[in-house]
Amino acid sequence: MFKKILVANRGEIALRVIRTCQEMGIACVAVYSDADRKALHTLRADQAIHLGASEPAASYLDIDKIIAAAKDAGAQAIHPGYGFLSENAGLARRCEQEGLVFIGPPSRVIQDLGDKTVARKIMREGGVPIIPGMVRAESVLQLLTDEAGRIGYPVLIKAAAGGGGKGIRVVHAENELADACRQAASEAAAAFGNGAIYLEKFLKRPRHVEFQILADSRGNIVHLLERECSIQRRYQKIVEETPSPAMTPDLRAAMGQSAVDAARASGYVNAGTVEFLLDADGKYYFLEVNTRLQVEHPITEMITGIDIVQQQIRIAAGEPLGFTQADVTGRGHAIECRIYAEDPENGFMPSPGKITYLQEPSGPGIRNDCGIYAGFDVPVEYDPILSKLIVWAADRNQAIARMKNALSQYVILGIKTPIAFLMDVLASEPFQEGKTYTDFIATHFEGWRQMTDEADLAVLAYIIDEIAGPGRLPAHITRTTGPATPWQTIGSWRL
Amino acid sequence: MEYKLRVAQMDFPVEVEVKEDLQLNIMLGDKKYMVDYTVVSDYCIHMAVENGIRSGNVNAFVADGPEGKTIVINGRSYMVQDNDCLAQVVQKGRRPNLPDKITPPMPAVVVSIPVAIGDRVKKGQAVIVVSAMKMETTLCAPYDGTVVRINAGVNDKVAPGQILVEIEKDE
Repeated sequence: MFKKILVANRGEIALRVIRTCQEMGIACVAVYSDADRKALHTLRADQAIHLGASEPAASYLDIDKIIAAAKDAGAQAIHPGYGFLSENAGLARRCEQEGLVFIGPPSRVIQDLGDKTVARKIMREGGVPIIPGMVRAESVLQLLTDEAGRIGYPVLIKAAAGGGGKGIRVVHAENELADACRQAASEAAAAFGNGAIYLEKFLKRPRHVEFQILADSRGNIVHLLERECSIQRRYQKIVEETPSPAMTPDLRAAMGQSAVDAARASGYVNAGTVEFLLDADGKYYFLEVNTRLQVEHPITEMITGIDIVQQQIRIAAGEPLGFTQADVTGRGHAIECRIYAEDPENGFMPSPGKITYLQEPSGPGIRNDCGIYAGFDVPVEYDPILSKLIVWAADRNQAIARMKNALSQYVILGIKTPIAFLMDVLASEPFQEGKTYTDFIATHFEGWRQMTDEADLAVLAYIIDEIAGPGRLPAHITRTTGPATPWQTIGSWRL
Repeated sequence: MEYKLRVAQMDFPVEVEVKEDLQLNIMLGDKKYMVDYTVVSDYCIHMAVENGIRSGNVNAFVADGPEGKTIVINGRSYMVQDNDCLAQVVQKGRRPNLPDKITPPMPAVVVSIPVAIGDRVKKGQAVIVVSAMKMETTLCAPYDGTVVRINAGVNDKVAPGQILVEIEKDE
C-alpha cells in the first residue's frame, strides 16, 4: 500500500480524496496555487506544496510542476481528482515513465477513450450498442452529407477530441449541414486543439444514464449500478440521482452488462463511468466513457456503502477487488445537487467573492462535500463548484423531501448560489414524477425567477437588523460590554 | 420609526413601534405584525412572528452590502433596499450601467486583448476577452472609433467599474 499520495487537484474533490487517504492512514500531499493559499485542501493535507500562479496553466495543469512536487515530497502515487489533468494521457504517461503510480487507468486507455470516434469503434467491436452514426472523423463535406443522409436527420455534429457536452451542434436539414460543420470544426479546434468532427443520430428526449465501473489489474470488473443525470443546463449536470426512475431490473442487468463489456473491450483498469443515452423506447446507446472519478460519485457511495476513492487507491496499489457483482446491492435512494457560485436569476453568471457566512445542512442521510468556509475568497480562475449536497433516504419521495429541507437549511452569504433554483427543481411536478429528460431545464425552467412569497418576513428581518444588528449600537445597556467605540457608532460602511 | 423599503420589485411603507425589549409591532402598509426577536449572531436573527395569517418561528440570515441587505429565509434570498438610499446605491451598484464603457460584468481575469493602441475598430468588434470561473465573455466596441488606451494586461484581475479599453469615438 502507498505511504504517501499526492492529490493533483483543488477544492471539494481534493478534500474528498484527502479524507479517504487520512482514513486509510496514508500521508497526503496537497498542491496549491496563489489563490488557494488558504483553501481547505491546502490546510487539511499533511503537507502542501506551492505550485505557482493562480492561472491553471501555471499551477494545476502544469505536469512538470506536479511531477516535481510528487518527487520532492516522496509520494508514490498521484490522484488526479476530476477535471484538470484527470483525463490527460500525458500525465498518466509521465507517471509511468517516472516510476509514479497514476491512480486511474493506463495512459493508453485514457488516450483511446479520449478520442470519441476511437471509443465508438472499440465499443462496436466489443458488442456494446452505440448511437447510430460515424466511427471515424471526416472533413470532406460530400462524405459528411452522405453520412448524414444515411443516419437520417436530425443529426448531431460532435468533436472527436471533445467530451462533456462541449462543441455539439444539432442539424435538422441538409441545407444547414455545410455551415454547421464548418463552425463546429473551428470551435472544436479552438476548444480542444483538434478540429476533427463526426456525426451521430440526434436522439429525441433521451435520458442520460451512466454506470459506475471498477476494474482491478487482474481482470475483475464490476459495475456499481447506475446514476440518472438528466437534469442539465447547457450540458452541465446539476442534479443527479440513483436509482434512475426509468430503470427496471432487466434494463439494469442489460445496461450493467454492457458497461462491464465496455470496460473489458477497452482494457479498463481502476474506476470509470460508462455513459449511455436511454431513449423513450427503452433502447440504450453508448455515449462515452469518463476515465476518472466523477463529480457525482457520492450518490453511488450512499446507496452501495462503497468508498470509491478507497477502491481506486487499492486497485492502483495492485490489490484485487474484494467483492463480486453479486455482492453489490443498492439500498434506498440518493440525490445530489451541485452548488455552484452562480446567479440563477442572471443567466447563471459566475459569482466569485468572499463567503461571509456559511451554515451547512446536517442530519441523518445528509452529506455535504464542501470546499469552502466562512471567510474564504472563492477564486475567479477555476470551476465555480462550491460543494455537492447529497441526501440518502429509504425511497425517492423521502429523498426529495430530505433534499428540499436540506437546501432550505443551507445558507451561503457573500456570493450568489442556485440554492433557491434547486429547491424549485426538486419541488416541481415533472421532477416528482420522475420525468427527467435532458431537456428538463430548458422545458420547465427557462427564465426562472425566485418565488417571493416571504418578502414581508425579509422586510421584518431588515428592520431588526437595522435596530439591533451588529452595525448599530443597541439602545439597551444590558447588551453592551463597554463604552461605545467609533467603530460601533459610525454604523455600517465598506472599504 | 418609519422606513420606505423595497424588495422583489415591491415597495413596503414601514412603521415600527418598539413595544418592549426585543418586541416590536411593525406595520407593513396596513398589515400589522407582532414580532419577538433574538439576535443570534452577527448574521442570524430569530423571530417569532404573528400577524393573523403568519404565525411561527423564522430564522433569517442577513448580510449587509453596498446595495442593501441580502436576507435569506428558508433557502430563498431577498435583496431588501432602503428607498431613501436607493438613489445613491444605483451609482455604486455591483453592475454599473455603463453601456458605452468597456468594463467587465463581474470580477474576472483578462484572457486576451485582440486590439492594440491606435487600431481602428468597428462597432461590435471584440476588444477584450475576460474569463470568470471558466466562462468567457467578450467585450465589444460600443461604436466605431480608435483604441486610445488599454488599462489592463493579460492575466490581470479586473472588476466591474474598471474601464479596460478606451475608445475614442469617430466624429
